[in-house]
Amino acid sequence: MYKYSEQDHQLLLERVSQFRGQVDRRLKGELSEEEFKHQRLRNGLYLQLHAYMLRVAIPYGLLSSEQMRTLAHIARKYDKGYGHFSTRQNIQYNWPKLEDVPDILDDLAKVEMHAIQTSGNCIRNTTSDPLAGVARDEIEDPRPYCELIRQWSTFHPEFNFLPRKFKIAVSGATHDRAAVAVHDIGLRLVKSETSEETGFEVYVGGGLGRTPMLGKIIRKYLPKQDMLTYLEAILRVYNMLGRRDNIYKARIKILVHETGEERFRELVETEWEKIKAGGLFLRDEDFNWVKGFFNDPVYESLPDSDADFENLMLSNAEFARWVDKNIELHKQSGYRIVYLSLKTAHQPPGDVTADQMDAIADLADKYSLGHIRTTHRQNLVLSDVPLKDLPALWEELKALDLATPNYNHVTDIISCPGLDYCALATARSIPISQAITARFDDYDFINDLGDVSINISGCINACGHHHVANIGILGVNKKGTEVYQLTLGGSAREDAAIGKIIGPAFEADEIVDAVGKVLAVYLESREEPEETFLMTYRRLGQAPFKERLYG
Amino acid sequence: MALQVYTASLLKEGLVAYLALENGRPSWTSDIHQATVSEMATLDDLKQAAEQSEQDNIIVAPYAIDVLKTENGIVATTKREQIRAEGPTIELPQDTTRESRQAA
Repeated sequence: MYKYSEQDHQLLLERVSQFRGQVDRRLKGELSEEEFKHQRLRNGLYLQLHAYMLRVAIPYGLLSSEQMRTLAHIARKYDKGYGHFSTRQNIQYNWPKLEDVPDILDDLAKVEMHAIQTSGNCIRNTTSDPLAGVARDEIEDPRPYCELIRQWSTFHPEFNFLPRKFKIAVSGATHDRAAVAVHDIGLRLVKSETSEETGFEVYVGGGLGRTPMLGKIIRKYLPKQDMLTYLEAILRVYNMLGRRDNIYKARIKILVHETGEERFRELVETEWEKIKAGGLFLRDEDFNWVKGFFNDPVYESLPDSDADFENLMLSNAEFARWVDKNIELHKQSGYRIVYLSLKTAHQPPGDVTADQMDAIADLADKYSLGHIRTTHRQNLVLSDVPLKDLPALWEELKALDLATPNYNHVTDIISCPGLDYCALATARSIPISQAITARFDDYDFINDLGDVSINISGCINACGHHHVANIGILGVNKKGTEVYQLTLGGSAREDAAIGKIIGPAFEADEIVDAVGKVLAVYLESREEPEETFLMTYRRLGQAPFKERLYG
Repeated sequence: MALQVYTASLLKEGLVAYLALENGRPSWTSDIHQATVSEMATLDDLKQAAEQSEQDNIIVAPYAIDVLKTENGIVATTKREQIRAEGPTIELPQDTTRESRQAA
């Protein structure tokens, strides 16, 4: 992973010192809340329903074991002993005290982490494929490009006060595990049709929230040397023309929609022409330098079979289930990718305790070359586990309650914090996710359902990505009562789609039954077990689901 | 008119707090049941005291909420304010929780 230079370290220390001074002045009353609010948000610090909330950036979801131990230390020392991994691959602490935040940032800086640009109208943390660098379907490792974007966008003076927040995702594989179509800019690495080169398919104007939209492809192939100049051109057009008069119409998706795809493309291309040969043009030495931080580790030459592993697969059904659901093939023979499920019946989706974090760091060192990845589905990944070590790793994960065999299945629910934590939320989402998990927490049922996603948001801002779930749930407040609207047919993958509302909302004590009915229609209607929920829905449309739900 | 109390977030901790007036002197408590209800002081007095506390950098963003007086004490009328008063409605993750679960 990228290692900070001396200059990077210095920059971070100065920033923490600056914020320490701002906090000090706020506590003494020398800064008003209105003045201070902008400073704290620049450092990822929100004031939420119960307390301050600090969002820490995890660049493209990549963590070292040392960083994970620091996250555990922060959870233990300054918070209530846990943290929450978000859909943007970051971690959030729900209970820090204002006076402790400079010390937290100091601790983070020691391990090359920070909370800069995790809030506010700026370019946020760039997200990516949690399997970057190890996936079998990878065209090219996206991490070096993410790092270049991180460096370009951090403290970019021109883009520090955009009309609204701005999110970029990069994917380098055939399968989209980074939800690129629902980001302000999505970049997909693709092969050139005319050479051996790779470049980017560029999506602009995707997003969720109250106006969900899929990104439009404004360039089918962008040479990678032009990545930063082209991003700069898009951001310039947005910064100049994006609406600042109405917060609900300020995202780039609205600009693209109102300007028209073709006109927006012309504006970007015109701006690009002016700057494409400038200092942001990426040279071979730039790529070589940054790729040096993401070289493959030295993999052992291991057989792609192991007698103990095979024996356990045959003799232990629980182990076999875990392997079936939470393990993926690795590009390197003899290795596997392991998903650590943060979706148990006992903890809110994405939540991890300090002890679990420390243990995960130890497991990463012991089994997976010391690295951990976070996923946008709020799980963790150990990316480089030798096949022969899977039985031992499984035993240890089980003891930590991190081995639920449900990755990409019905109880692998994305959930925003909802009204239990969030000042913007209008309904609770975590209790609903827990109720759904409790209802359907049966392996045979989960296995029979196969690949299906449920996402829950506690308000129209859609932090729980409900629009792009196969089954989306949106909690709203209707005349003082929490009610839940169902959307069906969404997808965040390469076949991205925005789900459609199926009908009137359900009350909290009805929504789990409603989900059950939707799943029952699928199981009764699919033509074969291989037909996924989404395939059945697309074949049949809403009618049979609507009929079952509303009669 | 509904009864009201004043609430805010404590500046240092960020935690939820409610205004209690004793002999006209303001203090801030995490316990909604200790809050001064608008029938015991005028809403203007409460507002003034809250704004003064904000100027004194004790609290952030004060506002009035509707409450009911019940046999169980003061209860906010909205779900949002009930959750602010009582805390998250879910069990917070705790390492001891896992240990006791395993022991069970």
